[in-house]
Amino acid sequence: MNKIKNLYSKLEKVLSGVKFAVVIILLFAIALTFGTFMESYHGTDYANRLVYKSWWFITIEVLMFVSIVMATIVRLPPKKRLYGFYTIHSGLIILFIGSFFTYINGVDGSLQLLPNTPARKIFIDEDVLVIEKPRENKVLKLTLPYTPWPRNLNKTIQNITVYDFLPYAEKSIKWRAPHSRSEESQHSSSYLLFNENMSQDFTLSLNPQSDFKSMHRMGLLNLHYMPKNLAECFAKESPSGFIVWSLVDGSCSSAEEKKYKMGQTDKGTDFLLIEYNGDFLKYFPNYSPMAVNDDLTKNPDSPYRVLSRKVFEDKANLFLFGKKVSYFVKRKKKWVLKDLTGKVVKLPWMGFKLSLTRHEDELVPVEVPEAVTPIQDNGEIIKGRLKAARIKVDSSEYWVTNEAPLQLKNGDNTLTIGITNTVKELPYQITLEKFVMNTNPGTKDPASYESYVQLLDGRSSEGLKKHHVFMNNPLKYDDFTFYQSSYFPLEQNQFGSVFSVNYDPGRFFKYLGCFFIVFGSIWHYILNRRKKVSP
Amino acid sequence: MKLIIILISTLFISQVSYSQNSVCSKLTEDIPVQAGGRVKPLYVLAKESIKFLTGKSSLQGEDPTLTFCKIMTIKDYDLPLLVEHVDTKKFLGIGDAGTMPSSELLMKKDLIRAEVFKQKENNSYKKDLSKLFQRISTFEKIQNQEAFTLYQKDTDGNLSWIPLSSISKEDIPTAIQKSKKLYIETSGDKHLLELTYAKSHIFSIALLISLVAVFLTVLLKNLKAAVGVAILSVLIQTIGMAMRVMISGRAPITNMYETVMFSGYGALLIALVILIFRKEKIFLLAGLGHNILCLFMMMFANNMLSSSISPLVPVLRDNFWLSTHVTTIILSYAALALSWMVANITLFKLFRKSLTKKDYRYHQDLIYTCIKVGIILLSAGIILGGVWADYSWGRFWGWDPKETWSLIVLLFYMALVHGKYSTWINTHRFVMASAAGFMTVMMAWFGVNYILASGLHSYGFSEGGAIFLGSFFAIQIAYLIFCGIKVDFKTIEPK
Repeated sequence: MNKIKNLYSKLEKVLSGVKFAVVIILLFAIALTFGTFMESYHGTDYANRLVYKSWWFITIEVLMFVSIVMATIVRLPPKKRLYGFYTIHSGLIILFIGSFFTYINGVDGSLQLLPNTPARKIFIDEDVLVIEKPRENKVLKLTLPYTPWPRNLNKTIQNITVYDFLPYAEKSIKWRAPHSRSEESQHSSSYLLFNENMSQDFTLSLNPQSDFKSMHRMGLLNLHYMPKNLAECFAKESPSGFIVWSLVDGSCSSAEEKKYKMGQTDKGTDFLLIEYNGDFLKYFPNYSPMAVNDDLTKNPDSPYRVLSRKVFEDKANLFLFGKKVSYFVKRKKKWVLKDLTGKVVKLPWMGFKLSLTRHEDELVPVEVPEAVTPIQDNGEIIKGRLKAARIKVDSSEYWVTNEAPLQLKNGDNTLTIGITNTVKELPYQITLEKFVMNTNPGTKDPASYESYVQLLDGRSSEGLKKHHVFMNNPLKYDDFTFYQSSYFPLEQNQFGSVFSVNYDPGRFFKYLGCFFIVFGSIWHYILNRRKKVSP
Repeated sequence: MKLIIILISTLFISQVSYSQNSVCSKLTEDIPVQAGGRVKPLYVLAKESIKFLTGKSSLQGEDPTLTFCKIMTIKDYDLPLLVEHVDTKKFLGIGDAGTMPSSELLMKKDLIRAEVFKQKENNSYKKDLSKLFQRISTFEKIQNQEAFTLYQKDTDGNLSWIPLSSISKEDIPTAIQKSKKLYIETSGDKHLLELTYAKSHIFSIALLISLVAVFLTVLLKNLKAAVGVAILSVLIQTIGMAMRVMISGRAPITNMYETVMFSGYGALLIALVILIFRKEKIFLLAGLGHNILCLFMMMFANNMLSSSISPLVPVLRDNFWLSTHVTTIILSYAALALSWMVANITLFKLFRKSLTKKDYRYHQDLIYTCIKVGIILLSAGIILGGVWADYSWGRFWGWDPKETWSLIVLLFYMALVHGKYSTWINTHRFVMASAAGFMTVMMAWFGVNYILASGLHSYGFSEGGAIFLGSFFAIQIAYLIFCGIKVDFKTIEPK
């Protein structure tokens, strides 16, 4: 018993000591310095997760609280010359209590307003995984951890297991083995397109398991990814420019080689006929590569496709066949075929050059979220805006992101899984009448952001109430403060508005604490001065 | 032969200058124009434009209004435009030259734009290129007579500002007179006050007077006369700031230039007030020192501090909170600047061995007094900021870098004040730490805007500040290390 008492008095001596206070204050200052730099490089949210709302930072705050309380207790009973000291320190204690209330019970979210659309949902900065099962009329929610780093969760809800959560991610290309054996024509490639001013890489794939498509647009340039067997046919001399491609054996030929029947309709449209099973397949290659039925509908089941090269001669079209590339040279009026293996090919548009960076016959390119540290530039997050979670449903693995929810179909049973913010519903609704942005006279610099809103509270009998919300003039209603924080453009010169929404239960204590601190500081100063003046 | 050429060329030049004078004589500097979201006298617009374009407030001593008019009226008038960044100079191939003729830059405009887009990173080179592009556009705007605006009443009786380019050449002289008359009739002649303010160089005069006060204190050791002159300097600065307040209609603390102005003013004022209670010339010296430093910065650190009066960003448009919160914070910085000055002077005196033990102890007390005033003002300022944030945004505290750094400053001085009660901080450590402590103030004051530059408060961002801050830190640290090695604290440290 004596030992414990001894230990306590020792602990009390340390915790109430000035040296402990100095250490804690400096520690706090260093943590804050670190926080401001993190905020500047990686953005506000990251700094909050890493520093300001982390356990170790809160520990420092708690230790500071302990230090203040202990320092006050050991200096009791009150002495007159310490009146200022007591006031300042109790002010700080009250301030800490107020902050604690805010931390536990406060709300800090945002409200998005579309013109003339009632809104009552507040989005709170807390990530949740939402699983919707419409058939069972069930919505399951899993709150995701507030962390700056990827976290392993391994949590199972019914038949869904959540493995990892990445709070900041970027999509990166992964080449994985196909689930089922790929056919020979289902290859994939990555290319680099560059000129003096820019360089851009892109990936194209013919494999249906890939996240990448076989078509891609890059400004005015159209990219078409084709099975490699077709390459040779693009280089063939052919007055008609028709390439016939057999879906049965993957072979190709020019229309002239196989001596297919060609001609023009009365209206001057080119057509081509292929004899198949004793019947004739009709093609109008300048309109569609598919065969056309008698009623002029397209027949996607026909075993041949007929491509018309002429259609692609006008604009910038690039045909890629894995390791080979073909394009039309207007100057020479000729289609050329170039080999890309180990070579850079000059293209006839704006000094562009093309090189092959990767080609795979078997492996499938997929986009996989990868954890990154976010980067802020000019007040905007330019890297790491994606949030992602790796989950397993039954026996297959998927990535869920905050971009678009994942939809899984199992028979007529659908499952929607997504990452969103926690939503809190207000007991009343706010409708945006209009958002106005005034500019400084003669310039385009904003002078004010103003929202005209209507508030309708079903609990009261007052009916619609109009409010004018702008910077430094928030709407205060029902303990909540709605502050004009942002806006977003919509169609036809209309704007949506964003309010930040706050509820602070510690407000009274904070004001009281602040009053004590300022009052105490002055008192302390006066008491000290008197002491020095009177010898 | 040479003589003939000279004769002909002078004749030609005089004729040219005659023809422009006939137009430019109508362009007096008191004409009100709308520019940058505000109405100001032509002189101010011209001066700010020439400054932005060339980096100097006048072209070889020429009246900026005349230079401005020459750009507008003389076809293909060539102005040397400022080029700052090393890489930009390399890109333009101008070697060490700091300027490039506008005619050549106009031809390279598209090339410069392409180079801006080519930069992937938002680094200082890209920013400088964009600035150069802005210079070229501004020059073009003046050349095309779009920068100069006239006040007009249209047929419906609506008042509006229109560019000079929309008026036919013959009508220009009468249109200018009409515009001037109309503006004074409808909106008064407040812009004339700005003309007086801009032409008076009131802060340069204050700088001279403050220097005289230092001269009187240090060399003539006439404290009474020095206080008198210092009071005169404060009065002149008061007039200057009052004019600025009347022109802008708000407290003079809304950008870096104004906070520097106000802190220099505040430091001298606080020093004079403390002087009433404690007749110590070191206070006067410290106050004058900070005052002079600030006035110097206002005059010469143009790259970092823009003296132009521009409209406020929406967040700051609340006169009451702006005046109370920012004024308190800047005054606290001024008080802490005094402690910093006194600490550095004390260290210098220690190095010179011109300080007795008693004096040393006394100096420490003086520093402590300043710090206490600074701490009280800073706490009050931070709390006022919290109350403003709570009133406006429903949030007391948001870990915004500016507010966080002001808290770091407070914490640093708190640690110092608490440490004084322990055995850790003796007199010489206290003096050294007080001198070092002002670096946290500089970080909060300038560093957040020039180095961190993010968050709600980053309204004052501009380039060149990072170099200034870096040099400040380097010099202060070097001085502290020097004093730490050279000063023999043991012989003077009182037990």
